[in-house]
Amino acid sequence: MSESQSHSYVKYSSIFFALCICTVLSILFDVIDLRAHNLFGLNGVVLLSAGVLSIACAKALFVLIYFMHLKFEGKWKYVLLSPTIVLAMSLTVAITPDIGIHYYTNESPQIDYLEQAQQAALKEGPARNAEKSHVE
Amino acid sequence: MSHDSHAPQYRMGLPIPHSKLGMWLFLATEIMFFSAFIGAYIVLRAGSPGWPTDAEVTHLRIWAGGLNTFVLILSSYFVVLALEGMKADNFAKARRYLGLTLLLACVFLGIKAYEYSGKFKYDILPGHIPETPQMAIDKSMREMKQVIDHRTVALSNSKPPAKAEPANPDESVELAGVTDEKTEELAPPLEEQRQKLQAELSAADTSESRKKELTAYFDLDAKYRELNQKALDESITVPAMNQELDTLKKNPEYGSFLAPVHYLQPIIYGNLFASVYFLLTGFHALHVIIGMILFVIVLLQGKRLSEKWNDYVENIGLYWHFVDLVWIFLFPLIYII
Repeated sequence: MSESQSHSYVKYSSIFFALCICTVLSILFDVIDLRAHNLFGLNGVVLLSAGVLSIACAKALFVLIYFMHLKFEGKWKYVLLSPTIVLAMSLTVAITPDIGIHYYTNESPQIDYLEQAQQAALKEGPARNAEKSHVE
Repeated sequence: MSHDSHAPQYRMGLPIPHSKLGMWLFLATEIMFFSAFIGAYIVLRAGSPGWPTDAEVTHLRIWAGGLNTFVLILSSYFVVLALEGMKADNFAKARRYLGLTLLLACVFLGIKAYEYSGKFKYDILPGHIPETPQMAIDKSMREMKQVIDHRTVALSNSKPPAKAEPANPDESVELAGVTDEKTEELAPPLEEQRQKLQAELSAADTSESRKKELTAYFDLDAKYRELNQKALDESITVPAMNQELDTLKKNPEYGSFLAPVHYLQPIIYGNLFASVYFLLTGFHALHVIIGMILFVIVLLQGKRLSEKWNDYVENIGLYWHFVDLVWIFLFPLIYII
């Protein structure tokens, strides 16, 4: 018993370090700032999102499997968690065509504001830089 | 009945304590609860071109988010160690790690509070954010008008009593009961008060200090009228207005009154961003607070902590890991992407 406990003690600390490394990795993604670059023909924002979200999933799995002991639980974990996860994802999937992708022409005041802002930025290129320098 | 005595002793349900099953079922509902908000955020974000991401605009600090991630991961680790202590009948160890977890939860909330205070400072609150330059200028003028109105009321009320009494007493009673929401209705009496202050300024028997106060007030009022005119003519830009307000705030006579006037920063989709930010992090913080209460309950047992509490510690551990799990997703979604 004590042997298995000391064994798991070590394992917990290595899980903790793995989680820390993952956190540092996701911060590195922010430092590199992929937004401006398009690598492998993929949009930078998509790459960034895919990168940090897969790190987040890895971290979540570490926590679920080891810290929450799902690895050592019976088959009931699948019965309980799989419908939950399907239901949780389905809401997002269901509203994506309407709000995330806009299969219709998206009309919102903010889109007009964005156009106005872009036009203003084009018109007053140097003035806009001055504004930025003023920001704390 | 013979089959009664020979029937094997079935154990109904799952081979785990009922409380643990209950906790897992609760966590299943929690997964759906948070994924509804997170999913709504992802979808809104994807469907909103020009969503604010610049840290200078949103005032989201990656170091604060990263530090909070680390704090929660460490606290999760400590909870696991506390459970190990419980299972090994080492209750002192369990208490120590549970105490450390509670401390880390306080640190997490402290950093969160620091971040929230930044949002309040820059007025990044749902429904408060101007989305176009014109809206930003209008907002600053509204805030400045409010400052001047408050100043009018304050100066009128601080009149020496000998002078205040003969003036219409009904009016001041009426004014005292008026709240901010009724500023519109206040307009005529405020204008009257203003005229009285003007008369007081030109009167010979007004004291020097009072005159100084009144001069500062009228200077500010004149500045407001000038800027407001420019705002109405749309002849002033946001950077110019910011510069004007900066200069006014530095004025030794009346600059301090202008503290409630915010720095102008139009943010497209800023209100939606603020709503989602406060909804997600607010609900998460609420879960942290509930977790802290659960930790306090077990820590209050002190030396009476025994193996009877094993299931309890395991269950609050599961809950705490879930809180950590939610933050693991919130951190990249809110701070990085």
